[in-house]
Amino acid sequence: MCNSGVSLTPTINGQTFHFVVAGLYDGLFVMKDDKTSTLWNHVTGEGMYGEHAGTQMPVRNLLQMNADQAVKMDANMRVAISDRTFSLDGRRSRFKDPDRKLRPMFIETLGEDDVRRPRMDMGLGVWSENAHRYYPVATLRSHGDYILDEFDGEKILIYLDPVTSTPQGIFVAAQEVSFQDNAIVLDGGRKIVSGQLYGAHGEATPVKRPLQMFTRWYGFSLTFPNPDIFE
Amino acid sequence: MSSTLPSHLITFLFAAVLSANATTSESFDINRYNTAGEGWFKTFHVDHTQLLQTALDSGVVSGTMEVLVTQTAAGKLALIMDQMAFHHIAQGTENGKDWMATF
Repeated sequence: MCNSGVSLTPTINGQTFHFVVAGLYDGLFVMKDDKTSTLWNHVTGEGMYGEHAGTQMPVRNLLQMNADQAVKMDANMRVAISDRTFSLDGRRSRFKDPDRKLRPMFIETLGEDDVRRPRMDMGLGVWSENAHRYYPVATLRSHGDYILDEFDGEKILIYLDPVTSTPQGIFVAAQEVSFQDNAIVLDGGRKIVSGQLYGAHGEATPVKRPLQMFTRWYGFSLTFPNPDIFE
Repeated sequence: MSSTLPSHLITFLFAAVLSANATTSESFDINRYNTAGEGWFKTFHVDHTQLLQTALDSGVVSGTMEVLVTQTAAGKLALIMDQMAFHHIAQGTENGKDWMATF
């Protein structure tokens, strides 16, 4: 419902923990582990209730893109496919509908709404040890599909991917940004294609990203209370 | 950040830190916890992967399908978003290192 996802390392005190969905909290699913039944926040990776309350799993990004982009990002990309049926179309845009309603069983688990944005609004939430900021998709669109900003002391580019319209954030200093076919063209001849930054001579350049997730406002603002909003 | 790190690691290098102002165990209110959903979904325990390019070439996966990309000790791994909307959790071990994705 919230569309939020991250990568975690499920190793606690040297042991592999296995996790299952255990219910809802703040309108988001919570997990429990198979060893202690501790309840865990699936975004922050922190044990919330039980024996491991306060224990922190390392958190990394879980990037959203399409399969063509993924294989362009890394030709050695592997894929894991479960026995669950799926649509070859595979576009889940209905889940990103800002007018979608939250069902009562979700609502009753919510904390106090941050009313600065509509509950089901979608945007890119970015966070670090020191800051958290929300970039509404609507704001991105009104700024020409990109925003140059500074986050936690570093220059950052937030953009709507020209292929999937998924917001992404990368740390890069740029003065000029334009869109050309499926590429985002930066000054100095640099380009971003399929989430990969290329230098003036077409060389792949390491990309540094903040922790981020494309999510609904309620999920981000309840997980990271009172975030900055880029308006 | 060290410029000597391989680009594939830097691409996915994210500080394993959490905002000091995030929701924490100290603010967790057990009275707002609802068990709705418990037992409804099945965690995807990943024990087999294939090259994404091979899956694309064979038509098992289409290029427009949305995927979620994580980093494991064996390299980048794509998960089918449509499947993850059901599983919510995928986890596995590569080269002796555990990984997990939540969605």
